Amino acid sequence: MISVQKLSYVYSPKTPFTTQALFDVNMRIEDGDFFGIIGSTGAGKSTLVSHFNALTRVQKNSGTVIVDDMDLSAKKPDLNRLRAKVGMVFQYPEHQLFDDTVEKDVRFGPKNLGASADEQRALAKQAIELVGLDYGAVAERSPFELSGGQKRRVALAGVIAMKPQILILDEPTAGLDPVGKREIMELIVRIKAVCPTVVMISHNMDEIASYCNRIAVMSRGRVIGVFTPRELFGSRELLADCDVKLPLVTEIAARLCDGGAEIAHDILTEDELLDAIEKAVKHA
Amino acid sequence: MRDVTIGQYYPSNSIVHRADPRFKLVIMLMFLVMVFFCDSFFSFGFLTFFVILTIALSRVPPLKVLKGLKMIIIVVIITTVLMMIFYTDGDGKPLAEWGIFHIYLNGIYASIKLAWRLMLLVLMPTLLTLTSTPTELCDGLESLLSPLKKLRFPVHELALIMSIALRLVPTLIEETDKIMNAQKARGAKFESKNPFKKIKAMLPVLIPLFVSSFRRADDLADAMDSRCYRGAKGRTRMNKLHFHVGDVLAVLLWSAVFVCILFLNYNWLGWEFIAVLGV
Ligand SMILES: Nc1ncnc2c1ncn2[C@@H]1O[C@H](COP(=O)(O)OP(=O)(O)OP(=O)(O)O)[C@@H](O)[C@H]1O
Ligand SMILES: [Mg+2]
Repeated sequence: MISVQKLSYVYSPKTPFTTQALFDVNMRIEDGDFFGIIGSTGAGKSTLVSHFNALTRVQKNSGTVIVDDMDLSAKKPDLNRLRAKVGMVFQYPEHQLFDDTVEKDVRFGPKNLGASADEQRALAKQAIELVGLDYGAVAERSPFELSGGQKRRVALAGVIAMKPQILILDEPTAGLDPVGKREIMELIVRIKAVCPTVVMISHNMDEIASYCNRIAVMSRGRVIGVFTPRELFGSRELLADCDVKLPLVTEIAARLCDGGAEIAHDILTEDELLDAIEKAVKHA
Repeated sequence: MRDVTIGQYYPSNSIVHRADPRFKLVIMLMFLVMVFFCDSFFSFGFLTFFVILTIALSRVPPLKVLKGLKMIIIVVIITTVLMMIFYTDGDGKPLAEWGIFHIYLNGIYASIKLAWRLMLLVLMPTLLTLTSTPTELCDGLESLLSPLKKLRFPVHELALIMSIALRLVPTLIEETDKIMNAQKARGAKFESKNPFKKIKAMLPVLIPLFVSSFRRADDLADAMDSRCYRGAKGRTRMNKLHFHVGDVLAVLLWSAVFVCILFLNYNWLGWEFIAVLGV
Protein backbone atom coordinates (compact mmCIF):
# COMPACT_ATOMS: atom_id res chain seq x y z
CA MET A 1 0.00 0.00 0.00
CA ILE A 2 1.26 3.47 -0.82
CA SER A 3 -0.49 6.42 0.73
CA VAL A 4 0.30 9.98 -0.29
CA GLN A 5 -1.09 12.87 1.73
CA LYS A 6 -0.84 16.58 1.01
CA LEU A 7 2.43 16.08 -0.82
CA SER A 8 4.13 19.14 -2.37
CA TYR A 9 7.56 19.33 -3.90
CA VAL A 10 9.71 22.25 -5.03
CA TYR A 11 12.80 21.88 -7.22
CA SER A 12 15.76 24.17 -6.43
CA PRO A 13 14.01 26.11 -3.67
CA LYS A 14 15.21 29.66 -2.98
CA THR A 15 16.95 30.15 -6.34
CA PRO A 16 15.86 31.98 -9.49
CA PHE A 17 15.21 28.56 -11.06
CA THR A 18 12.74 27.33 -8.51
CA THR A 19 9.79 25.29 -9.87
CA GLN A 20 7.03 23.73 -7.89
CA ALA A 21 6.51 20.26 -9.35
CA LEU A 22 3.80 18.96 -6.99
CA PHE A 23 0.89 20.71 -5.29
CA ASP A 24 -1.05 19.04 -2.47
CA VAL A 25 -1.17 15.53 -3.95
CA ASN A 26 -3.40 12.97 -2.24
CA MET A 27 -3.81 9.37 -3.36
CA ARG A 28 -3.74 5.79 -2.22
CA ILE A 29 -2.44 2.78 -4.11
CA GLU A 30 -3.73 -0.56 -2.76
CA ASP A 31 -1.94 -3.90 -2.79
CA GLY A 32 -2.73 -5.76 -6.00
CA ASP A 33 -3.45 -2.62 -8.02
CA PHE A 34 -2.23 -2.16 -11.55
CA PHE A 35 -2.14 1.58 -11.07
CA GLY A 36 -1.73 3.92 -14.04
CA ILE A 37 -0.52 7.51 -13.86
CA ILE A 38 -1.16 9.73 -16.87
CA GLY A 39 -0.77 13.42 -17.64
CA SER A 40 0.97 15.67 -20.11
CA THR A 41 4.75 16.22 -20.02
CA GLY A 42 5.93 18.14 -17.01
CA ALA A 43 2.82 17.22 -15.02
CA GLY A 44 4.98 15.87 -12.22
CA LYS A 45 4.49 12.13 -12.71
CA SER A 46 8.16 11.19 -12.44
CA THR A 47 8.64 13.50 -9.48
CA LEU A 48 5.71 11.86 -7.69
CA VAL A 49 6.83 8.27 -8.19
CA SER A 50 10.43 9.02 -7.25
CA HIS A 51 9.08 9.74 -3.76
CA PHE A 52 7.85 6.15 -3.47
CA ASN A 53 11.30 4.72 -2.87
CA ALA A 54 12.79 7.83 -1.29
CA LEU A 55 15.01 8.79 -4.22
CA THR A 56 13.31 12.13 -3.81
CA ARG A 57 12.91 12.91 -0.13
CA VAL A 58 9.75 14.48 1.21
CA GLN A 59 10.54 18.12 1.92
CA LYS A 60 9.92 19.75 5.28
CA ASN A 61 6.25 20.40 6.05
CA SER A 62 5.27 19.19 2.58
CA GLY A 63 3.04 16.25 3.40
CA THR A 64 3.62 12.55 3.97
CA VAL A 65 4.28 9.41 1.93
CA ILE A 66 3.64 6.06 3.61
CA VAL A 67 4.65 2.73 2.09
CA ASP A 68 3.10 -0.14 4.08
CA ASP A 69 4.45 0.53 7.58
CA MET A 70 7.23 2.93 6.59
CA ASP A 71 6.84 6.68 6.87
CA LEU A 72 9.10 8.19 4.19
CA SER A 73 8.76 11.69 5.59
CA ALA A 74 10.55 10.48 8.74
CA LYS A 75 14.11 11.62 9.13
CA LYS A 76 15.80 8.28 8.49
CA PRO A 77 13.61 5.66 6.86
CA ASP A 78 15.16 2.19 6.51
CA LEU A 79 16.33 2.66 2.93
CA ASN A 80 17.56 -0.90 2.50
CA ARG A 81 14.23 -2.40 3.41
CA LEU A 82 12.39 0.20 1.33
CA ARG A 83 14.46 -0.37 -1.81
CA ALA A 84 14.04 -4.13 -1.48
CA LYS A 85 10.29 -3.62 -1.27
CA VAL A 86 9.81 -0.98 -3.96
CA GLY A 87 11.47 -1.70 -7.31
CA MET A 88 11.86 1.26 -9.63
CA VAL A 89 12.36 1.02 -13.38
CA PHE A 90 13.24 4.39 -14.88
CA GLN A 91 12.62 5.64 -18.38
CA TYR A 92 15.16 4.04 -20.75
CA PRO A 93 16.42 1.67 -18.03
CA GLU A 94 18.90 0.13 -20.48
CA HIS A 95 21.10 3.20 -19.91
CA GLN A 96 21.93 1.98 -16.42
CA LEU A 97 23.60 -1.30 -17.49
CA PHE A 98 27.26 -1.39 -16.56
CA ASP A 99 28.74 -4.80 -15.86
CA ASP A 100 30.64 -6.96 -18.32
CA THR A 101 28.14 -9.83 -18.32
CA VAL A 102 24.36 -9.86 -18.19
CA GLU A 103 24.36 -12.20 -15.19
CA LYS A 104 26.67 -9.98 -13.13
CA ASP A 105 24.62 -6.93 -13.97
CA VAL A 106 21.40 -8.60 -12.83
CA ARG A 107 23.12 -9.76 -9.63
CA PHE A 108 23.99 -6.18 -8.69
CA GLY A 109 20.69 -5.54 -6.88
CA PRO A 110 20.57 -8.74 -4.78
CA LYS A 111 24.26 -8.28 -3.97
CA ASN A 112 23.61 -4.79 -2.60
CA LEU A 113 20.83 -6.21 -0.46
CA GLY A 114 23.32 -8.64 1.06
CA ALA A 115 22.27 -11.92 -0.58
CA SER A 116 24.82 -14.76 -0.61
CA ALA A 117 26.57 -15.70 -3.88
CA ASP A 118 24.35 -18.75 -4.39
CA GLU A 119 21.20 -16.76 -3.71
CA GLN A 120 22.37 -14.05 -6.10
CA ARG A 121 22.90 -16.58 -8.85
CA ALA A 122 19.53 -18.22 -8.28
CA LEU A 123 17.71 -14.87 -8.20
CA ALA A 124 19.48 -13.69 -11.37
CA LYS A 125 18.57 -16.89 -13.21
CA GLN A 126 14.92 -16.63 -12.15
CA ALA A 127 14.74 -12.98 -13.14
CA ILE A 128 16.40 -13.43 -16.52
CA GLU A 129 14.04 -16.29 -17.35
CA LEU A 130 11.04 -14.33 -16.10
CA VAL A 131 11.75 -11.50 -18.55
CA GLY A 132 11.75 -14.03 -21.37
CA LEU A 133 15.45 -14.28 -22.14
CA ASP A 134 17.29 -17.57 -22.61
CA TYR A 135 19.54 -17.77 -19.54
CA GLY A 136 22.06 -20.13 -21.14
CA ALA A 137 22.41 -17.93 -24.20
CA VAL A 138 22.68 -14.45 -22.65
CA ALA A 139 24.06 -14.93 -19.11
CA GLU A 140 27.70 -14.68 -20.11
CA ARG A 141 27.29 -12.11 -22.88
CA SER A 142 28.06 -8.43 -22.49
CA PRO A 143 24.87 -6.41 -22.03
CA PHE A 144 26.24 -3.81 -24.44
CA GLU A 145 26.13 -6.16 -27.42
CA LEU A 146 22.43 -7.00 -27.06
CA SER A 147 19.62 -5.40 -29.04
CA GLY A 148 17.70 -2.45 -27.58
CA GLY A 149 14.70 -4.56 -26.58
CA GLN A 150 16.92 -7.24 -25.03
CA LYS A 151 18.83 -4.59 -23.06
CA ARG A 152 15.59 -3.26 -21.66
CA ARG A 153 14.64 -6.78 -20.54
CA VAL A 154 17.99 -7.21 -18.83
CA ALA A 155 17.49 -3.89 -17.03
CA LEU A 156 14.01 -5.03 -15.95
CA ALA A 157 15.51 -8.31 -14.73
CA GLY A 158 17.99 -6.30 -12.67
CA VAL A 159 15.08 -4.81 -10.73
CA ILE A 160 12.95 -8.00 -10.60
CA ALA A 161 15.91 -9.91 -9.13
CA MET A 162 15.47 -7.88 -5.94
CA LYS A 163 12.02 -9.48 -5.48
CA PRO A 164 10.12 -6.22 -4.97
CA GLN A 165 6.54 -6.20 -3.67
CA ILE A 166 5.74 -3.00 -5.53
CA LEU A 167 7.08 -2.33 -9.01
CA ILE A 168 7.17 1.21 -10.39
CA LEU A 169 7.61 1.67 -14.13
CA ASP A 170 8.27 5.06 -15.72
CA GLU A 171 7.17 4.81 -19.35
CA PRO A 172 8.36 1.22 -19.76
CA THR A 173 7.53 1.06 -23.47
CA ALA A 174 8.94 4.44 -24.56
CA GLY A 175 10.96 4.29 -27.74
CA LEU A 176 9.96 0.74 -28.75
CA ASP A 177 8.17 -0.39 -31.91
CA PRO A 178 4.56 -1.66 -31.58
CA VAL A 179 5.61 -5.32 -31.32
CA GLY A 180 8.26 -4.47 -28.72
CA LYS A 181 5.70 -2.43 -26.77
CA ARG A 182 3.27 -5.33 -26.69
CA GLU A 183 5.95 -7.78 -25.63
CA ILE A 184 7.02 -5.58 -22.75
CA MET A 185 3.41 -5.15 -21.61
CA GLU A 186 2.83 -8.91 -21.69
CA LEU A 187 6.03 -9.29 -19.74
CA ILE A 188 4.78 -6.86 -17.10
CA VAL A 189 1.58 -8.87 -16.74
CA ARG A 190 3.71 -11.98 -16.13
CA ILE A 191 5.80 -10.09 -13.58
CA LYS A 192 2.65 -8.99 -11.80
CA ALA A 193 2.07 -12.64 -10.83
CA VAL A 194 5.12 -12.47 -8.54
CA CYS A 195 5.10 -8.74 -7.75
CA PRO A 196 1.46 -8.00 -6.92
CA THR A 197 1.42 -4.20 -7.08
CA VAL A 198 2.43 -2.37 -10.25
CA VAL A 199 2.47 1.40 -10.77
CA MET A 200 2.95 2.50 -14.37
CA ILE A 201 3.44 5.92 -15.88
CA SER A 202 2.51 5.98 -19.55
CA HIS A 203 1.56 8.30 -22.37
CA ASN A 204 0.04 5.40 -24.26
CA MET A 205 -3.71 5.29 -23.55
CA ASP A 206 -4.09 1.87 -25.20
CA GLU A 207 -1.78 0.35 -22.60
CA ILE A 208 -3.39 2.25 -19.76
CA ALA A 209 -6.92 1.26 -20.80
CA SER A 210 -6.22 -2.42 -21.33
CA TYR A 211 -4.01 -3.16 -18.32
CA CYS A 212 -4.71 -0.74 -15.44
CA ASN A 213 -7.50 -1.14 -12.91
CA ARG A 214 -7.15 2.40 -11.55
CA ILE A 215 -5.84 5.54 -13.20
CA ALA A 216 -4.63 8.80 -11.67
CA VAL A 217 -4.81 11.81 -13.97
CA MET A 218 -2.24 14.51 -13.29
CA SER A 219 -1.99 18.02 -14.60
CA ARG A 220 0.45 20.76 -13.66
CA GLY A 221 1.55 19.16 -10.42
CA ARG A 222 -1.91 18.20 -9.20
CA VAL A 223 -3.85 14.92 -9.24
CA ILE A 224 -7.16 15.78 -10.89
CA GLY A 225 -8.68 12.49 -9.86
CA VAL A 226 -8.34 8.72 -9.62
CA PHE A 227 -10.72 6.72 -11.81
CA THR A 228 -11.37 3.23 -13.08
CA PRO A 229 -10.72 2.93 -16.82
CA ARG A 230 -14.43 2.60 -17.52
CA GLU A 231 -15.25 5.73 -15.56
CA LEU A 232 -12.54 7.71 -17.30
CA PHE A 233 -12.79 6.48 -20.88
CA GLY A 234 -16.57 6.02 -20.74
CA SER A 235 -17.32 9.63 -19.92
CA ARG A 236 -16.72 12.24 -22.57
CA GLU A 237 -17.08 15.11 -20.09
CA LEU A 238 -14.42 13.64 -17.83
CA LEU A 239 -12.08 13.08 -20.78
CA ALA A 240 -12.53 16.65 -21.93
CA ASP A 241 -12.03 17.96 -18.37
CA CYS A 242 -8.83 16.00 -17.93
CA ASP A 243 -7.62 16.65 -21.48
CA VAL A 244 -7.10 12.93 -22.11
CA LYS A 245 -7.17 11.25 -25.52
CA LEU A 246 -9.14 8.08 -26.18
CA PRO A 247 -7.42 4.72 -26.59
CA LEU A 248 -7.59 3.50 -30.18
CA VAL A 249 -10.15 0.72 -29.53
CA THR A 250 -12.42 3.03 -27.56
CA GLU A 251 -12.19 5.59 -30.34
CA ILE A 252 -13.21 2.94 -32.93
CA ALA A 253 -16.09 1.82 -30.73
CA ALA A 254 -17.21 5.41 -30.25
CA ARG A 255 -17.15 6.10 -34.01
CA LEU A 256 -19.10 2.90 -34.75
CA CYS A 257 -21.55 3.85 -32.04
CA ASP A 258 -21.97 7.34 -33.52
CA GLY A 259 -22.48 5.73 -36.91
CA GLY A 260 -25.46 3.80 -35.56
CA ALA A 261 -23.92 0.43 -34.72
CA GLU A 262 -25.09 -1.25 -31.53
CA ILE A 263 -21.81 -1.14 -29.69
CA ALA A 264 -21.04 0.09 -26.20
CA HIS A 265 -18.96 3.25 -26.17
CA ASP A 266 -16.81 2.32 -23.16
CA ILE A 267 -14.85 -0.51 -24.73
CA LEU A 268 -11.32 -0.85 -23.41
CA THR A 269 -9.55 -3.81 -25.00
CA GLU A 270 -9.24 -5.33 -28.46
CA ASP A 271 -10.98 -8.52 -27.34
CA GLU A 272 -13.97 -6.57 -26.07
CA LEU A 273 -14.15 -4.67 -29.33
CA LEU A 274 -13.98 -7.85 -31.42
CA ASP A 275 -16.73 -9.47 -29.33
CA ALA A 276 -18.91 -6.39 -29.59
CA ILE A 277 -18.47 -6.15 -33.37
CA GLU A 278 -19.20 -9.85 -33.80
CA LYS A 279 -22.38 -9.51 -31.77
CA ALA A 280 -23.44 -6.41 -33.65
CA VAL A 281 -22.85 -8.10 -37.02
CA LYS A 282 -24.81 -11.21 -35.98
CA HIS A 283 -27.60 -9.01 -34.71
CA ALA A 284 -27.78 -7.21 -38.02
CA MET B 1 25.19 16.67 -7.58
CA ARG B 2 23.06 19.59 -8.64
CA ASP B 3 24.80 21.90 -6.20
CA VAL B 4 27.87 22.04 -8.42
CA THR B 5 27.93 25.63 -9.60
CA ILE B 6 29.99 25.61 -12.76
CA GLY B 7 27.53 27.49 -14.87
CA GLN B 8 26.40 29.78 -12.08
CA TYR B 9 24.76 32.37 -14.31
CA TYR B 10 22.32 34.56 -12.41
CA PRO B 11 19.64 35.67 -14.87
CA SER B 12 18.73 39.34 -14.81
CA ASN B 13 18.50 42.21 -17.26
CA SER B 14 20.96 44.69 -15.78
CA ILE B 15 23.42 46.79 -17.79
CA VAL B 16 26.22 44.50 -16.68
CA HIS B 17 24.33 41.48 -18.01
CA ARG B 18 23.58 43.18 -21.31
CA ALA B 19 27.14 44.42 -21.86
CA ASP B 20 29.15 42.96 -24.71
CA PRO B 21 31.13 39.94 -23.43
CA ARG B 22 34.25 41.05 -25.34
CA PHE B 23 34.33 44.30 -23.43
CA LYS B 24 33.67 42.51 -20.18
CA LEU B 25 36.62 40.24 -20.84
CA VAL B 26 38.86 43.20 -21.67
CA ILE B 27 37.81 45.01 -18.50
CA MET B 28 38.38 41.81 -16.58
CA LEU B 29 41.92 41.54 -17.90
CA MET B 30 42.62 45.20 -17.11
CA PHE B 31 41.24 44.69 -13.64
CA LEU B 32 43.50 41.71 -12.92
CA VAL B 33 46.55 43.74 -13.93
CA MET B 34 45.30 46.71 -11.90
CA VAL B 35 44.99 44.66 -8.73
CA PHE B 36 48.70 43.92 -8.94
CA PHE B 37 49.53 47.61 -9.29
CA CYS B 38 47.59 48.54 -6.17
CA ASP B 39 49.92 49.13 -3.29
CA SER B 40 48.42 51.62 -0.86
CA PHE B 41 45.29 51.30 1.22
CA PHE B 42 43.88 54.27 -0.58
CA SER B 43 44.31 52.66 -3.98
CA PHE B 44 42.72 49.42 -2.73
CA GLY B 45 39.81 51.41 -1.38
CA PHE B 46 39.52 53.31 -4.64
CA LEU B 47 39.40 50.09 -6.69
CA THR B 48 37.01 48.41 -4.26
CA PHE B 49 34.62 51.31 -4.66
CA PHE B 50 34.36 50.57 -8.39
CA VAL B 51 33.96 46.85 -7.77
CA ILE B 52 31.06 47.56 -5.41
CA LEU B 53 29.59 49.95 -7.97
CA THR B 54 29.71 47.21 -10.64
CA ILE B 55 28.12 44.68 -8.30
CA ALA B 56 25.36 47.16 -7.50
CA LEU B 57 24.78 47.84 -11.21
CA SER B 58 24.61 44.10 -11.97
CA ARG B 59 21.67 43.67 -9.55
CA VAL B 60 23.01 40.28 -8.48
CA PRO B 61 22.34 39.84 -4.76
CA PRO B 62 25.65 40.76 -3.04
CA LEU B 63 25.49 37.52 -1.04
CA LYS B 64 25.65 35.52 -4.28
CA VAL B 65 28.83 37.33 -5.27
CA LEU B 66 30.37 36.93 -1.82
CA LYS B 67 29.65 33.20 -2.07
CA GLY B 68 32.46 33.12 -4.63
CA LEU B 69 34.82 33.91 -1.77
CA LYS B 70 33.80 30.76 0.06
CA MET B 71 36.20 28.57 -1.92
CA ILE B 72 39.25 30.69 -1.17
CA ILE B 73 38.54 31.89 2.33
CA ILE B 74 40.77 29.15 3.84
CA VAL B 75 43.62 30.05 1.48
CA VAL B 76 43.22 33.71 2.37
CA ILE B 77 43.28 33.06 6.11
CA ILE B 78 46.33 30.77 5.94
CA THR B 79 48.40 33.07 3.72
CA THR B 80 47.46 36.10 5.77
CA VAL B 81 48.45 34.48 9.04
CA LEU B 82 51.72 33.19 7.59
CA MET B 83 52.49 36.58 6.13
CA MET B 84 51.78 38.26 9.44
CA ILE B 85 54.01 36.04 11.59
CA PHE B 86 56.94 35.73 9.21
CA TYR B 87 57.10 39.29 7.81
CA THR B 88 60.40 40.84 8.82
CA ASP B 89 60.86 44.60 8.84
CA GLY B 90 64.53 45.55 9.01
CA ASP B 91 63.91 49.04 10.38
CA GLY B 92 60.97 48.71 12.75
CA LYS B 93 60.63 47.12 16.17
CA PRO B 94 58.41 44.02 16.46
CA LEU B 95 55.14 44.51 18.36
CA ALA B 96 55.29 40.94 19.65
CA GLU B 97 57.61 37.97 19.39
CA TRP B 98 57.41 34.21 20.12
CA GLY B 99 60.55 32.34 19.07
CA ILE B 100 60.79 32.46 15.29
CA PHE B 101 57.39 34.19 14.98
CA HIS B 102 57.06 37.94 15.25
CA ILE B 103 54.57 40.62 14.36
CA TYR B 104 55.54 44.00 12.95
CA LEU B 105 53.19 46.89 12.26
CA ASN B 106 54.20 46.83 8.60
CA GLY B 107 53.64 43.07 8.60
CA ILE B 108 50.03 43.63 9.64
CA TYR B 109 49.59 46.18 6.86
CA ALA B 110 51.18 43.86 4.30
CA SER B 111 49.00 40.89 5.26
CA ILE B 112 45.80 42.94 5.16
CA LYS B 113 46.74 44.12 1.69
CA LEU B 114 47.46 40.55 0.62
CA ALA B 115 44.07 39.33 1.80
CA TRP B 116 42.35 42.29 0.17
CA ARG B 117 44.14 41.62 -3.11
CA LEU B 118 43.21 37.93 -3.12
CA MET B 119 39.58 38.74 -2.47
CA LEU B 120 39.44 41.34 -5.24
CA LEU B 121 41.05 38.82 -7.59
CA VAL B 122 38.21 36.36 -6.95
CA LEU B 123 35.28 38.78 -6.74
CA MET B 124 35.42 40.14 -10.27
CA PRO B 125 35.73 36.80 -12.08
CA THR B 126 32.84 35.57 -9.94
CA LEU B 127 30.79 38.54 -11.02
CA LEU B 128 31.75 37.89 -14.63
CA THR B 129 30.45 34.31 -14.54
CA LEU B 130 27.34 35.41 -12.68
CA THR B 131 26.47 37.97 -15.32
CA SER B 132 27.49 36.22 -18.56
CA THR B 133 26.47 32.83 -19.87
CA PRO B 134 29.25 30.41 -20.78
CA THR B 135 28.24 30.74 -24.43
CA GLU B 136 28.62 34.50 -24.33
CA LEU B 137 32.05 34.15 -22.80
CA CYS B 138 33.09 31.63 -25.46
CA ASP B 139 31.86 33.86 -28.26
CA GLY B 140 33.62 36.83 -26.72
CA LEU B 141 36.86 34.92 -26.39
CA GLU B 142 36.66 33.65 -29.96
CA SER B 143 36.12 37.16 -31.23
CA LEU B 144 38.97 38.58 -29.14
CA LEU B 145 41.35 35.84 -30.26
CA SER B 146 40.35 36.04 -33.92
CA PRO B 147 43.51 37.97 -34.94
CA LEU B 148 45.40 34.75 -34.13
CA LYS B 149 43.63 33.13 -37.10
CA LYS B 150 46.16 34.86 -39.29
CA LEU B 151 48.81 32.72 -37.63
CA ARG B 152 46.77 29.59 -38.47
CA PHE B 153 45.82 29.16 -34.85
CA PRO B 154 42.49 27.18 -34.81
CA VAL B 155 40.54 29.80 -32.84
CA HIS B 156 37.11 28.76 -34.09
CA GLU B 157 37.67 25.06 -33.42
CA LEU B 158 38.96 25.83 -29.95
CA ALA B 159 35.96 28.00 -29.18
CA LEU B 160 33.64 25.31 -30.53
CA ILE B 161 35.22 22.62 -28.36
CA MET B 162 34.96 24.90 -25.37
CA SER B 163 31.34 25.81 -25.94
CA ILE B 164 30.34 22.18 -26.55
CA ALA B 165 32.12 21.16 -23.36
CA LEU B 166 30.44 23.93 -21.38
CA ARG B 167 27.09 23.18 -22.94
CA LEU B 168 27.35 19.52 -21.95
CA VAL B 169 28.30 20.09 -18.31
CA PRO B 170 24.70 20.48 -17.12
CA THR B 171 23.61 17.58 -19.33
CA LEU B 172 26.32 15.41 -17.85
CA ILE B 173 25.35 16.39 -14.32
CA GLU B 174 21.74 15.57 -15.08
CA GLU B 175 22.73 12.23 -16.59
CA THR B 176 24.93 11.40 -13.58
CA ASP B 177 22.00 12.21 -11.33
CA LYS B 178 19.70 9.91 -13.28
CA ILE B 179 22.12 6.99 -13.34
CA MET B 180 22.97 7.41 -9.67
CA ASN B 181 19.27 7.33 -8.87
CA ALA B 182 18.79 4.21 -10.97
CA GLN B 183 21.64 2.45 -9.16
CA LYS B 184 20.47 3.69 -5.76
CA ALA B 185 17.09 2.17 -6.56
CA ARG B 186 18.99 -1.10 -7.01
CA GLY B 187 20.42 -0.71 -3.52
CA ALA B 188 23.78 0.87 -4.44
CA LYS B 189 25.45 3.00 -1.76
CA PHE B 190 27.81 5.84 -2.52
CA GLU B 191 28.57 7.05 0.98
CA SER B 192 31.57 4.84 1.81
CA LYS B 193 34.46 6.57 3.60
CA ASN B 194 37.22 4.35 2.19
CA PRO B 195 38.41 6.04 -1.05
CA PHE B 196 39.08 2.73 -2.85
CA LYS B 197 35.64 1.43 -1.98
CA LYS B 198 34.21 4.76 -3.07
CA ILE B 199 35.80 4.50 -6.51
CA LYS B 200 34.59 0.94 -6.83
CA ALA B 201 31.11 2.03 -5.82
CA MET B 202 31.19 4.71 -8.52
CA LEU B 203 31.90 2.22 -11.34
CA PRO B 204 28.21 1.40 -11.89
CA VAL B 205 27.72 5.13 -12.50
CA LEU B 206 30.89 5.92 -14.47
CA ILE B 207 30.56 3.12 -17.00
CA PRO B 208 27.03 3.98 -18.15
CA LEU B 209 28.06 7.63 -18.11
CA PHE B 210 30.97 6.97 -20.47
CA VAL B 211 28.81 4.80 -22.71
CA SER B 212 26.20 7.51 -23.00
CA SER B 213 28.80 10.25 -23.51
CA PHE B 214 30.29 8.38 -26.45
CA ARG B 215 26.83 7.81 -27.86
CA ARG B 216 26.04 11.51 -27.42
CA ALA B 217 29.31 12.56 -29.07
CA ASP B 218 28.56 10.28 -32.01
CA ASP B 219 25.06 11.66 -32.35
CA LEU B 220 26.32 15.23 -32.15
CA ALA B 221 28.93 14.57 -34.84
CA ASP B 222 26.26 13.03 -37.08
CA ALA B 223 23.91 15.93 -36.44
CA MET B 224 26.64 18.46 -37.32
CA ASP B 225 27.61 16.49 -40.42
CA SER B 226 24.04 16.28 -41.64
CA ARG B 227 23.76 20.06 -41.29
CA CYS B 228 26.85 20.43 -43.48
CA TYR B 229 29.15 21.75 -40.77
CA ARG B 230 32.56 22.25 -42.36
CA GLY B 231 34.56 24.18 -39.78
CA ALA B 232 35.31 27.88 -39.61
CA LYS B 233 35.78 28.60 -43.29
CA GLY B 234 33.06 30.84 -44.71
CA ARG B 235 30.96 30.46 -41.59
CA THR B 236 28.77 33.35 -40.43
CA ARG B 237 27.19 33.74 -37.01
CA MET B 238 23.56 33.80 -36.06
CA ASN B 239 24.07 35.92 -32.96
CA LYS B 240 26.58 38.54 -33.96
CA LEU B 241 28.10 40.37 -31.05
CA HIS B 242 27.23 44.05 -31.06
CA PHE B 243 28.75 46.64 -28.83
CA HIS B 244 27.04 49.81 -27.74
CA VAL B 245 28.12 53.22 -26.55
CA GLY B 246 27.77 52.00 -22.99
CA ASP B 247 30.38 49.27 -23.53
CA VAL B 248 32.90 51.77 -24.84
CA LEU B 249 32.13 54.12 -21.96
CA ALA B 250 32.64 51.30 -19.47
CA VAL B 251 36.04 50.47 -20.93
CA LEU B 252 36.97 54.17 -20.87
CA LEU B 253 35.84 54.46 -17.26
CA TRP B 254 37.90 51.47 -16.20
CA SER B 255 40.90 52.79 -18.15
CA ALA B 256 40.55 56.02 -16.19
CA VAL B 257 40.46 54.00 -12.97
CA PHE B 258 43.64 52.24 -14.12
CA VAL B 259 45.39 55.55 -14.75
CA CYS B 260 44.29 56.85 -11.35
CA ILE B 261 45.68 53.76 -9.67
CA LEU B 262 48.99 54.18 -11.47
CA PHE B 263 49.12 57.81 -10.34
CA LEU B 264 48.24 56.88 -6.79
CA ASN B 265 51.10 54.44 -6.60
CA TYR B 266 53.84 56.14 -8.60
CA ASN B 267 52.98 59.80 -8.02
CA TRP B 268 54.88 60.79 -11.17
CA LEU B 269 54.08 64.47 -10.77
CA GLY B 270 55.11 64.54 -7.11
CA TRP B 271 51.74 65.79 -5.89
CA GLU B 272 51.65 66.42 -2.17
CA PHE B 273 48.18 64.95 -1.42
CA ILE B 274 49.01 61.67 -3.08
CA ALA B 275 52.17 61.35 -1.05
CA VAL B 276 50.02 61.70 2.06
CA LEU B 277 47.41 59.18 0.92
CA GLY B 278 49.82 56.65 -0.45
CA VAL B 279 50.76 54.76 2.71
N1 LIG C 1 15.82 18.00 -11.62
C1 LIG C 1 14.95 19.00 -11.82
N2 LIG C 1 15.27 20.27 -11.50
C2 LIG C 1 14.39 21.27 -11.67
N3 LIG C 1 13.15 21.10 -12.15
C3 LIG C 1 12.76 19.86 -12.50
C4 LIG C 1 13.65 18.74 -12.35
N4 LIG C 1 12.99 17.63 -12.76
C5 LIG C 1 11.78 18.04 -13.15
N5 LIG C 1 11.62 19.36 -13.00
C6 LIG C 1 10.40 20.15 -13.29
O1 LIG C 1 9.34 19.60 -12.53
C7 LIG C 1 8.17 19.48 -13.30
C8 LIG C 1 7.68 18.05 -13.29
O2 LIG C 1 8.62 17.22 -13.93
P1 LIG C 1 8.44 15.65 -14.07
O3 LIG C 1 9.70 15.11 -14.64
O4 LIG C 1 7.98 15.08 -12.79
O5 LIG C 1 7.29 15.56 -15.16
P2 LIG C 1 6.66 14.27 -15.86
O6 LIG C 1 5.21 14.32 -15.61
O7 LIG C 1 7.41 13.06 -15.45
O8 LIG C 1 6.93 14.58 -17.40
P3 LIG C 1 7.28 13.56 -18.59
O9 LIG C 1 6.01 12.98 -19.05
O10 LIG C 1 7.88 14.46 -19.62
O11 LIG C 1 8.26 12.56 -18.07
C9 LIG C 1 8.51 20.02 -14.68
O12 LIG C 1 8.02 21.33 -14.76
C10 LIG C 1 10.01 20.01 -14.73
O13 LIG C 1 10.47 21.11 -15.49
MG1 LIG D 1 8.77 11.70 -16.51
